[in-house]
Amino acid sequence: MIRYRITHDTSYDYSEVVSLCQNVAHLSPRECVRQRADDSVMTISPDPAVIEDRTDYFGNPVSYFTVQEQHRELTVSVTHRVEVWSPPPPDPAATPAWELVRDRLRTDHTPAWLDAYQYAFDSRYVAADPRYAGYAAASFAAGRPIVAAALDLTERIFEEFVYDPRATTLATPVAEVFEKRRGVCQDFAHLMLAVLRSVGLAARYVSGYLATVPAPGKPRLVGADATHAWVSVFCGDLGWVDFDPTNNQIPGDRYVLLAWGRDYEDVSPLKGVILGGGQHVVRVSVDVRPEEEGLEDRTEWHA
Amino acid sequence: MSEVSVSGGREPPEYVCPALGGPTPPLAPRPTPSIRMPSSLSPPPPDEEPAAGPARSAYGVSHGFDEAADPGGVPRPHWKPFFDSLDELSPAELGRRWREAQHLIRDNGVTYNVYGDPRGISRPWQLDPVPLLIAPAEAALLEAGLVQRARLLELVLGDLYGQQRLLHNGSIPPELVFPNPGFLRPAHGVKLPDNRFLHLYAANLGRGADGNWRVLGDRTQAPSGAGYALENRIVMTRTLPEAFRDCQVYRLAPFFQAFRDTLRAISPRNRENPRIVLLTPGPYNETYFEHAYLARYLGYTLVEGGDLTVRNNCVFLKVLGGLQQVDVIFRRLDDDFCDPLELRPDSFLGVPGLMHAVRSGNVAVANALGTGVLETPAFLAYLPRLCRELLGEDLKLESVPTWWCGDPVSLRYVLDNFTDVVVKPVFPAMRMEPVFPGELAADQRAAFAERVSARPADFVAQRKIELSTTPVMDAGRLTPRKMVLRAYLTAHRDGFKAMPGGLTRVSASADTMVVSMQRGGGSKDTWVLADGPVSDFSLLPPSGRVQLTRAGGDLPSRAADNLFWLGRYAERAEGTTRLLRCIVVRLAERSGFADVPELPALLRTMVLTCEPNAAPADAAGTEAGVFRAVFDPTYPGSLATAVRALRRVASIVRDLISIDMWRVLSGLIDFPTDPQSYGEDGPTPADVLDLLNRTVITLSAFGGLAVESMTRAEGWRFLDMGRKLERAMHLNAMLKGMLVHPPQHEGPTLDAALEVADSGMTYRRRYLSNLRAEAVLDLLVFDETNPRSLASQLAALEDDVNHLPRPPRGSSRSPEQRFALAAVNAVRLAEPERLAAVKDGHRPALAELLDHVGGWLPIMSDAITLQYLSHLQTSRHLASTELVRRTATDSGDHL
Repeated sequence: MIRYRITHDTSYDYSEVVSLCQNVAHLSPRECVRQRADDSVMTISPDPAVIEDRTDYFGNPVSYFTVQEQHRELTVSVTHRVEVWSPPPPDPAATPAWELVRDRLRTDHTPAWLDAYQYAFDSRYVAADPRYAGYAAASFAAGRPIVAAALDLTERIFEEFVYDPRATTLATPVAEVFEKRRGVCQDFAHLMLAVLRSVGLAARYVSGYLATVPAPGKPRLVGADATHAWVSVFCGDLGWVDFDPTNNQIPGDRYVLLAWGRDYEDVSPLKGVILGGGQHVVRVSVDVRPEEEGLEDRTEWHA
Repeated sequence: MSEVSVSGGREPPEYVCPALGGPTPPLAPRPTPSIRMPSSLSPPPPDEEPAAGPARSAYGVSHGFDEAADPGGVPRPHWKPFFDSLDELSPAELGRRWREAQHLIRDNGVTYNVYGDPRGISRPWQLDPVPLLIAPAEAALLEAGLVQRARLLELVLGDLYGQQRLLHNGSIPPELVFPNPGFLRPAHGVKLPDNRFLHLYAANLGRGADGNWRVLGDRTQAPSGAGYALENRIVMTRTLPEAFRDCQVYRLAPFFQAFRDTLRAISPRNRENPRIVLLTPGPYNETYFEHAYLARYLGYTLVEGGDLTVRNNCVFLKVLGGLQQVDVIFRRLDDDFCDPLELRPDSFLGVPGLMHAVRSGNVAVANALGTGVLETPAFLAYLPRLCRELLGEDLKLESVPTWWCGDPVSLRYVLDNFTDVVVKPVFPAMRMEPVFPGELAADQRAAFAERVSARPADFVAQRKIELSTTPVMDAGRLTPRKMVLRAYLTAHRDGFKAMPGGLTRVSASADTMVVSMQRGGGSKDTWVLADGPVSDFSLLPPSGRVQLTRAGGDLPSRAADNLFWLGRYAERAEGTTRLLRCIVVRLAERSGFADVPELPALLRTMVLTCEPNAAPADAAGTEAGVFRAVFDPTYPGSLATAVRALRRVASIVRDLISIDMWRVLSGLIDFPTDPQSYGEDGPTPADVLDLLNRTVITLSAFGGLAVESMTRAEGWRFLDMGRKLERAMHLNAMLKGMLVHPPQHEGPTLDAALEVADSGMTYRRRYLSNLRAEAVLDLLVFDETNPRSLASQLAALEDDVNHLPRPPRGSSRSPEQRFALAAVNAVRLAEPERLAAVKDGHRPALAELLDHVGGWLPIMSDAITLQYLSHLQTSRHLASTELVRRTATDSGDHL
């Protein structure tokens, strides 16, 4: 178990006055089997006229807030303490054949399976396509255990796609990522979802943080971390297993989870609509600091 | 006032019957029975012309079920009073009345926007003079079936947005819900007033060859057409009042009264007198006329998304005086378009934060957000079972046999009976045209079968049924056409109540089987017959005591903006017409410039007003240049451009101006934009003169109505400011063009200036024929008793801005007040003699004054916009994602 202190600051600078802004934030860590969160504090400036917390359709904590006074800058700062455990690693060979999961999703309407099934369909950013099914074929051989197949797919995306923050924007469609073979964590997560859904599996988009580790002898850079995204695959009675195609990993205790949904749109950390504002500049700074220092690693991590 | 391009977005036609001439094997030849519609029982009076009336000519019934005649060709009993009544009318009288009805439709501006129609965004509504008649017993059966269906659909919605038992127990395949674009996850678990989802529900009904009605599809989110049904009724009762009386037809008003009661009842507060608005996607939507019409009829404010704003979890209407809380939104916007924050991010037709305001319980939306989930035709296949499960009853009104291909057994059946079905996309948002495998060539059919088999869950199949026919009037004869009836229900107390009527649509021609308004089909009034006399309840005026009020200070800011521009364009068109008329008169009467010394000054003025940025040199010195200023819609300052802009704004403020004002403006609809419409050689000056004379009269009539029949409320102020501002600008340009550089003999030019400013008569009464520049300037610049002088425009503007609602913040003048005062004082303080003085061939004092005032006018326009209309800016997303701005045509139910 690792305990983290997380700071996530977002600020918008506008060239013109904003008279009204309404926002939806997925910025509070969701609790689940391998994660406990407390001490969550959100500070918004200017003071919001309305701020309300609720749980969204997917079970994530979500905040709605509005700023109704004129402003030229909006800042949203959140801090949390989170405890994260590494899940016990599954034995890939012992997991069920992927087709068994695919077929049972269509017929089993018990709560866990019905809940999983909603993640098998197209969503705004992720649509199944025969091209992705073709790409999947090399990993999803007949009868292959589902975790083994998904691990293989994770590795192939890691090997065959180049991490390139300049190649894509938030609006780049999966098809273009697939064609250019370049992108960032969000693109790789969307691509992997598209491939998995194209073979009929249920998979969800996970938004969260990745704790980076400084190179040996170098101090940790505060704010160098970033929001991260990975994928969770429904593996039948085994439940959900996470995969990170950006770093070719099954996420462990370096991964702090915020929320999950069908794709980025369901869980984007902060989205809003403004009246006025002209041009704007966004600054995001994330710091995920282990409360007990001493993590050592030589791997380069990407978000 | 931004142009929005119109594109895409059409719904497949509602239902189609087997093609008679297609590659399907033709039906066994059958003699077409020919019936004679009955004459009245008594023989016609001897003086009546003996020619066969339309009702008496042969009516060729096609095979299948006919609404008006039985298979033997004998009229059905409930049609008899109608045909008898029609028989009383001579063909000439019927023809005359029908032409009147067409005028009524045109004058009332009843339109239906057809995408891609060359006639632009407003095509007259097609109404057939023969209504559809429904017998009392049949209407009762239909109502019982529809009410049961509405109750059932509401229970299904309650489950999908709540417990979802129907998904867990397998009653509804999750594949119809999870990927359904109409399933709005943010709407899940939201507590609704009275647990009501459906406030207005519509079903499309068709009658098969067996004579049974079947539901072809459900409209659960924002059904269109009820307003057209109402308008059809109004036209029909004026056209065939005798038949309407003789047939004992139920009135529509009680239905709309029930609907109003329902919307009042769901208001979260203030139930006595809640503020209710009708939310429209805007004038580019195909049924915008109906939105405006219903808003006016029901007494609701017509608003677009930009007129509303959410603060403190409440919805407010932006009015000139500030913000007013809205209690109920009757929406004609598809539900995923209603909130760009929580629903579709790529639409700004809605209101950011609306979903959360609904969740907070501070506003009610009708129909509830999320009701569109049931508009997939696949649900029809599951309704019988759901009805037994949820209501413990059998479904009373059958649906057309429907199969969702995602079910393997259904898929096999569909493929085995491929030529008997029509295949549709599972979700309407997929925008696929229906496919008739029976009409495809063998190889295409095989390819399509493969496509369906590859993604079966994407497709729904429905059995083709041969729709019934009903008589329409075609070139004076009754002819059978295929028909579909759209029936409406409103929530009422604990249940539902059916509209005794509906919107009947017929196919476009005898050999077209497609029934769709988009495809040029027509509509009919629908008469539900009573067993006895009916009460003649009317919705307006409402009964009970009225709270006397002279307020009305709730003009939406957007409406004020549009009225302002309506005033500006109307005046621009009028001023341009008067100027061009002066020029054309001279071209028509004389031969050349030598004879007309004032012509250069007039042409200079034309260039100044039509093309302010062009060099005022010798441009447009020819007849061609003048004609261009009249007809060319691509020339920014032309009369054609002003007329077009005027018509466009008028169609947007349809709900704010009187019917007479609308009728006057509709006279401009025929304004030609192509000189070739006058024939090979184009128009002669006399033709153009005639056109300009007619246009001046139309525009003057509009101006007169604006003065005489609008209350001096905020709306009128904005219209008037637009007019006065534009007239001042026009006068300013005219004085500059004609009087600043006087020719040697100024007489004819002064005379022309008086003519352009419509002040010649006043002048002659005062000065006889003694034309003097200082006298002309006194009349056209200073005389505030002359409604066409510059001073009187500026004084009126000052009065208008002083009467606008103003936030209480001290006594200092607002910017637009200061500019108006400065302009009016500059003119009042000038001296006519000084202005008239000529030095080095021009009048420097006049030029200076005109430059001053001319500079202030646009600044004043901007100041007004800034003060009252600036919060009309549109919302944007915070994130930097590139967004497509959807046009209004993408949203809203189609017909």
